[in-house]
Amino acid sequence: MSQHARRDVAVLDGDNLVLGGAARRIVAIGLAVGVVGLGSGFLLGRAAGDGMRHFLHAWLLNWLFFLSLSLGALWFVPLQHLTRSTWSAVVRRLAEIVSGTLPLMALLALPVLLNLGDIYVWADPTRVAGDPLLEHKAGWLNPGFFTLRIVFYFAVWILLATIFRRRSLRQDATGDPAITAGSERLGGPALILYGLTQTFAAFDLLMSLDAHWFSTMFGVYWFAGIVASFFAVMTLLTAGLQRSGRLVHAVTLEHYNDYGRAMFAFVFFWAYIAFSQYMLIWYANIPEETGWYLRRQQNGWSAVGYALILCHWLIPFAGLMSRFTKRRVRLMAFWAVWILVMHWVDLFWLIMPELSPGGIPLRLMDAALLVGMGGLYAATLALVAGPRLLVARRDPRLQASLNFENY
Amino acid sequence: MGILLTRDTIDNTAHDPARPQELITGGYDFTTLTDKVCGIVERRGAPRAWWVALGFMASLAAMMFGMIGYLIYKGIGIWGVNNPVGWGFAIVNFVFWVGIGHAGTLISAILYLLRQQWRTSINRFAEAMTIFAVVCAGIFPGIHVGRVWVVWWLFPLPNFQAMWPNFRSPLLWDVFAVGTYATVSLLFWYTGMVPDLATLRDRATTKVRRIAYGFFALGWRGSNRHWHRYEKAYLILAGLATPLVLSVHSVVSFDFATSQIPGWHTTIFPPYFVAGAIFSGFAMVMTCLIPAREWYGLKNIVTLYHLETMAKIILATGTMVGYAYATEFFIAWYGGNPAEQFAFVNRAFGPYAWAYWIMVSCNVVSPQLFWFKKIRTSPAALLVVCIFVNIGMWFERFVITVTSLSRDFLPAAWGYYRPTAIDILTFVGSFGLFFTLVLLFMRFLPMIAMAEVKTVMPQKHWEDKVSRPVGDYHGTNPGDR
Repeated sequence: MSQHARRDVAVLDGDNLVLGGAARRIVAIGLAVGVVGLGSGFLLGRAAGDGMRHFLHAWLLNWLFFLSLSLGALWFVPLQHLTRSTWSAVVRRLAEIVSGTLPLMALLALPVLLNLGDIYVWADPTRVAGDPLLEHKAGWLNPGFFTLRIVFYFAVWILLATIFRRRSLRQDATGDPAITAGSERLGGPALILYGLTQTFAAFDLLMSLDAHWFSTMFGVYWFAGIVASFFAVMTLLTAGLQRSGRLVHAVTLEHYNDYGRAMFAFVFFWAYIAFSQYMLIWYANIPEETGWYLRRQQNGWSAVGYALILCHWLIPFAGLMSRFTKRRVRLMAFWAVWILVMHWVDLFWLIMPELSPGGIPLRLMDAALLVGMGGLYAATLALVAGPRLLVARRDPRLQASLNFENY
Repeated sequence: MGILLTRDTIDNTAHDPARPQELITGGYDFTTLTDKVCGIVERRGAPRAWWVALGFMASLAAMMFGMIGYLIYKGIGIWGVNNPVGWGFAIVNFVFWVGIGHAGTLISAILYLLRQQWRTSINRFAEAMTIFAVVCAGIFPGIHVGRVWVVWWLFPLPNFQAMWPNFRSPLLWDVFAVGTYATVSLLFWYTGMVPDLATLRDRATTKVRRIAYGFFALGWRGSNRHWHRYEKAYLILAGLATPLVLSVHSVVSFDFATSQIPGWHTTIFPPYFVAGAIFSGFAMVMTCLIPAREWYGLKNIVTLYHLETMAKIILATGTMVGYAYATEFFIAWYGGNPAEQFAFVNRAFGPYAWAYWIMVSCNVVSPQLFWFKKIRTSPAALLVVCIFVNIGMWFERFVITVTSLSRDFLPAAWGYYRPTAIDILTFVGSFGLFFTLVLLFMRFLPMIAMAEVKTVMPQKHWEDKVSRPVGDYHGTNPGDR
């Protein structure tokens, strides 16, 4: 058992706990990559000659990919407070920084909101007219109300992220344990708000691409992907910072072990949700529901479906199972990248068949937008982190978090 | 309630984030804890109240078996099931009892993997409850067609008529899911109990006890090697049991959701049923534990902090259930299917509106009281709300099963289901069976997982001088030199 010496918070004194000058470099490079990526994506979109439809769908895809990461952080931070989690005290600040990218995500929503008619069937009046189902839903699915809802979701998300991050930063200055107690109380209501807004965002942004289709499980489906990819991004952030000589003593293999456990659990949870949704619709075999899956089982799309079963579930499930893997940073980084790629493929599979049911429309602009938004995302992360501490230095649970062990 | 429950004198619910939570109060050390828990089992002659309770519960159980006997003699005509409501109390009770059984596995497996140390005080009890609940649940599919002599048709045995059960039927999946669940839960419960059984064996003063506990203690001597293997086995069982927490009630939900019946066929059913099962399971754990800790004087082991934490889980899972209700309603409208919309309006305002509103007020409204710490730390209030949750969760299954069947697509085929007295008495009798088993468990087995509780007591950290107990470690602590 734990016979080794207890590590005091003083071990952090020797650690580099800020981004420092690197922040400015990351912002500069990130912005440059962002401009080049999005710019070339835009030009490729213009060149495609489809009235920017592929560009807009690819934008939606990549935007939702990065939004998933931010939302994962927004879910994680209140949950850690609510459950009075010890292990995560050391890494919670990183999640707070990730949730600080939500304003960027709100900004990147604009191309979608300004071109609803090119993405969503229900936003095209000519297609709504005469379609009884779309007419029935017009009270909910219309550009005005839809935009209002998206604005509302982002208002809630940014507000929640800001509240929790501000409180945590305030504790850096004052060390007041009452701040922790207050955040614990806020955790419950925050998660309820999160659950509702994320569910309806899934219904609005993803499910309504096929406005005829519906599935009560859909919000949970996106949630499963969000959480798995969030822990992946945490793994990469932590590993990157440690590689650059930061947080070296703060984060231990035990924390990686827990990231790995969470990824493992949510890879499995994703499969559980995906299977349940598919199986129930397949089994009942009602045309109003099966259409959505049929589109994804024809014209080459079934390959993507099989790839998801294999690579979003079976392979990472086997790969992440062993404790050996979860305590090797390089292996963990490999699986983290793997899971992020698969979350992207999952979103691709959710979105693109609606644009191109006839075949898989992989284009260079998908990659350009991914890289571009990735650049902006990294720049925003550095901007949010700024000169401030990367660890909640005076969190009352820090000592315990530095010392916890997976037996 | 005030007569039954005295106020807790020690309140350990205050929380200081910089310190580990005090989980065991009242100054227990390893010896006194063992004495306390074993004392309940070793006491000569059970308390009078125990005999009274056992007599009452066993007669209820006997009544249930009487009802089953009558059912076998007469057939299911004595039940309220009719056409179109072919699924009545039997399935409602089955789902209710399976759901109750979920807290045990959640506590023993998932909370273990999440390093929730407070689970140690309650896991033995909850696991025992799980098994008894599954026993009660198992009865209803066995008798629901009235012909118990063909109950083996449930299993995929090649029989002499060369008939197989339909492998595409979720009812067959239920057999596997519940069977696996019962097996793993039993193994888990038993594995965890081995060190404690050995303690009882070692303390035994009579030959019968020594042989009985000794037999089940499997030769446990508490050597390092034993502990090492025990912990390994426990971790593996926890890993295996974790997906079972999700799978059992997911498969139960498939019984409904694979159909095309409005109100049954909806994709959120699997996680929604799981959340509801954990919700009801914890409510039942509280319903049993609050009186038990009172009567057996276990308030310093199952403390207010434990009750408060369970109340929080009930609030969380109750909110998830509310989320599922709301999502179903929204999609019923959004989906634009008139039959689905009717099913939901009919639930809330049709002939079974009374059941629906009992369900909503018990399941969604009553747990909201748990937002208040005052309620979460009052055993009497907790008990009342938890009983409401138990009622609400039974009605949830009733609402789902009966409202959808009684009015499906063809108005000409509508009907109204009314349970008969025999339905009700059989159900009431199943509580008799459940509590009979609980009472026997409390009398003959250690209610608290002693070995595990000791791992969360401050005395465990012998290198920590402040909390070091008085005792002989047969040596010097290296730090003393």
